[in-house]
Amino acid sequence: MALKKADWLALEKKAHELRRLTLDTTFWAGSGHIGGGMSVLDMLTILYHRYMNIKIEDPNWEDRDRLVLSKGHAGIAYAPVLCDLGWNDKEQLKTFNHTNSKMGMHLDSNKVIGVDASTGSLGHGLSIAVGMALAARVLGKSYKTYCILGDGECDEGSNWEAAMTAAHYKVNNLISFVDRNKCMIDGRTEDVLGLEPFVDKWKSFGFIVKEVDGHNFNELAEAIDFALQNDGAPVMIVANTIKGAGIDFMEDNYVWHYGAIDEEKYEDAKKSLDAYYKKRVERAEREGA
Amino acid sequence: MAGGLTYTAVDSTSLSTAEIYGKALVELGRAHKDVVALTADLAKSTKIGDFQKEFPDRFFNVGIAEQNLVGVAAGMAKAGLVPFLSTFSQFASFRAADQLHTDICYQNVNAKVIATHSGTSFGQAGSTHHAICDIAVTRAIPNLTVIVPADGMETYNAVMAAYETPGPFYIRINRGFDRVLYKDGDYGFEVGKAVTVHEGTDITVIACGSCVFQALQAAEFLDKTDGLKVRVLDMHTISPIDRDAILKAVGDTRRIITVEDHNIDGGLGSAVAEVVVESGKGCAFKKLGIPRTFAPIGLHEDIMSIVGIDSNGIIEAVREVMGKDFELDDDWDDEV
Amino acid sequence: MADLTLLTNKIFLNAALPLVKVIANDVPSLAKKFKNVHAVIQVSALDSSMPAGKAATHFVVNAGEWQVHADKVSSRVHVELQFKSREAMNAFFKGKISPATLPKMIGVTKNLKAFVAFMSVLLKMSSLLGSTQPPETVEEKRLLVKCFFYLLSNGISQLNKNGHEAVHNWALKSPDRVYAWAVDGEPEVSAYLRVRAGKTKAGRGEYKRSMPFFKMRFDSLDSALGILLSIDDMLESTRSGKLIMDGAPEFGAQIGEFMLLVGELAK
Repeated sequence: MALKKADWLALEKKAHELRRLTLDTTFWAGSGHIGGGMSVLDMLTILYHRYMNIKIEDPNWEDRDRLVLSKGHAGIAYAPVLCDLGWNDKEQLKTFNHTNSKMGMHLDSNKVIGVDASTGSLGHGLSIAVGMALAARVLGKSYKTYCILGDGECDEGSNWEAAMTAAHYKVNNLISFVDRNKCMIDGRTEDVLGLEPFVDKWKSFGFIVKEVDGHNFNELAEAIDFALQNDGAPVMIVANTIKGAGIDFMEDNYVWHYGAIDEEKYEDAKKSLDAYYKKRVERAEREGA
Repeated sequence: MAGGLTYTAVDSTSLSTAEIYGKALVELGRAHKDVVALTADLAKSTKIGDFQKEFPDRFFNVGIAEQNLVGVAAGMAKAGLVPFLSTFSQFASFRAADQLHTDICYQNVNAKVIATHSGTSFGQAGSTHHAICDIAVTRAIPNLTVIVPADGMETYNAVMAAYETPGPFYIRINRGFDRVLYKDGDYGFEVGKAVTVHEGTDITVIACGSCVFQALQAAEFLDKTDGLKVRVLDMHTISPIDRDAILKAVGDTRRIITVEDHNIDGGLGSAVAEVVVESGKGCAFKKLGIPRTFAPIGLHEDIMSIVGIDSNGIIEAVREVMGKDFELDDDWDDEV
Repeated sequence: MADLTLLTNKIFLNAALPLVKVIANDVPSLAKKFKNVHAVIQVSALDSSMPAGKAATHFVVNAGEWQVHADKVSSRVHVELQFKSREAMNAFFKGKISPATLPKMIGVTKNLKAFVAFMSVLLKMSSLLGSTQPPETVEEKRLLVKCFFYLLSNGISQLNKNGHEAVHNWALKSPDRVYAWAVDGEPEVSAYLRVRAGKTKAGRGEYKRSMPFFKMRFDSLDSALGILLSIDDMLESTRSGKLIMDGAPEFGAQIGEFMLLVGELAK
């Protein structure tokens, strides 16, 4: 058991707040990449609120842990996280995606505090993360670099170039995730361009792979704990997730890769998230130590 | 300009451009701990092996993976290092265009791309390895300083200036066997400022890279044989381009010929034309370059001759432009 | 008719006589005289080889507004100074005044005012251009240098247009270039000559479209007069900085030679 019950419940509460905030942001913007935002939020929550070595009072602290959200279109979920930390004014979420706004679909590292890389063009993030991790080595620093990829994103060949470099240079201060929600724009990943055997691919590229339930904080914690004390090959945590997790009419439906939220859907979604939170708390109570 | 310049004319004649780059990098590496070097399996060809030998822990070969090369460099720059990455120009600009555009330039990081084997300098490798559109692409990317040094000394100056100037750089050099234009580095190199390599008031030839030497040769020849006074500008910085030098050429000589080892569309010629046209002033104008085709295979000198960007091609073009009348009024009556 | 006579006459008709307008406009006492003059005044030389039987330059004056028609004959003329021949006109303007060279004055009685005014300008012009020493006042110095510049650029252009071998060969070989004359600090005192592939065009004032290919510059009106009145030596003036050549020296020497040519023919 990696998580104490109290810690698990705290994470569940934070995750619920962030899911609600992501829904709000989508509603205020009119539409957004809510499906993939929901599937990745638990990873973002546990990283920022349990593992990442950051300073709230100094977001640009040069020895901070880095996070590259390679699936940059999940900005709709990432922005709420970075506002909730206090690094950016929450009010900005109300103008998400509006003309000249500092926050939009793909967060700009030069405009949003806490964003380590301006991602959005898929397949770039892992290379950038490898670069940051190698830089730590050159500079003699001990910060960790986290990278979260989408699974559809893994179609891009450049990811595998980065993977080979990570393996070749034993970049184990880099901890990577794939948000394996099995959906992309045109359909389910296995229907568009089959990724299976997915875990085997990463293993054959020289990674130690941990397969977890991406919505189970305990499983995530176990995998990350392992990665943190690992000094062998780099670690890839394949997190099996559900696109649109928490909002019943969106769950596991690739159509909600990007969708519009009107008043009616907003109310329905809120109800669904509340019910989902209840279930999550129940599990934590049940399974937590 | 960098202090501690240790190369004399003798050195520069025996060292190719790439070798000078390699040594410049080592010099930077010794002086600055934040300099790192990367390549995509082209350490030998781009001569950064010297750096690798001296600083093995600050050198990274990512294998034949140019997109990753640029992405990793961007990540390193984000973390506070100053990465110099080199590969062939065609791959740096086209293969990794998205990474160059987004990871380096959009994020405006302190990464320096040394693009080698530019233009048709790797002649015998053919069009798969020629870079004839890269200036067109790179000069259109915001935040990117694009420099095309004329020879080894200028490459040294450009590399040093790149370190001293924060922001993305794209330095486009040849395969490394350039004719020597500058015997020493102290001629007043400044990013964004063209160098007047030969004075004149009949016509201006604006060139970059290996074509500058050719233009100078043409100018000297034309002075001797035709009595023509040709101004030659080494326009090493394509972006930001030296508008003042161009406008001065328009005002002083009213005739401009551009020369580049690049497609005539979109490169130096187009950049200069934009300035001329925007000025609203009349000026005779001609672009020399690869004429909207893919170049044949061959030795670099031969290809330059075939497409007309060598000294003979420039001589012919100058004579042609000088022969054209561009006064709107054909009034040859004396004023009374 | 000897080529030299024709060439010389062309210079007088096209380069020298037009200066009448410049002088009439620049000297206030002379300008006053033309305030109420409305007349066509012609200076001609009889030449049976010409379709009109003569060659001439005529001026159309309207209350002080001058139009110069160089080397063009007018049939409707109020006042005419008619020379027996081109030789006679040449000799007269070179200062050889004798019964043989004096022109016939036509229309004097009916247009006395116009005639008197014109003669006074002509006299002024000949005294100015015939100076051996620089004038006293700055205004006259300015006017004289200006006239010389105009005379020289028009003169060289005429030599080319009328087939002077040396000048025409030079013009034939030349790409599009502009040669200019100027005095530092005196923007009005300037002239230029455009040359290209056998064609020439003399212009007044500063050439604005681009930097002239070559410019002969004097550091003051006095320095200019020193050279133009053949008082100073060109080499010495260059050495002392009175005369500055902007451009390759060999082109300066060439232009200098042509300036001397014009001077020889016109004096």
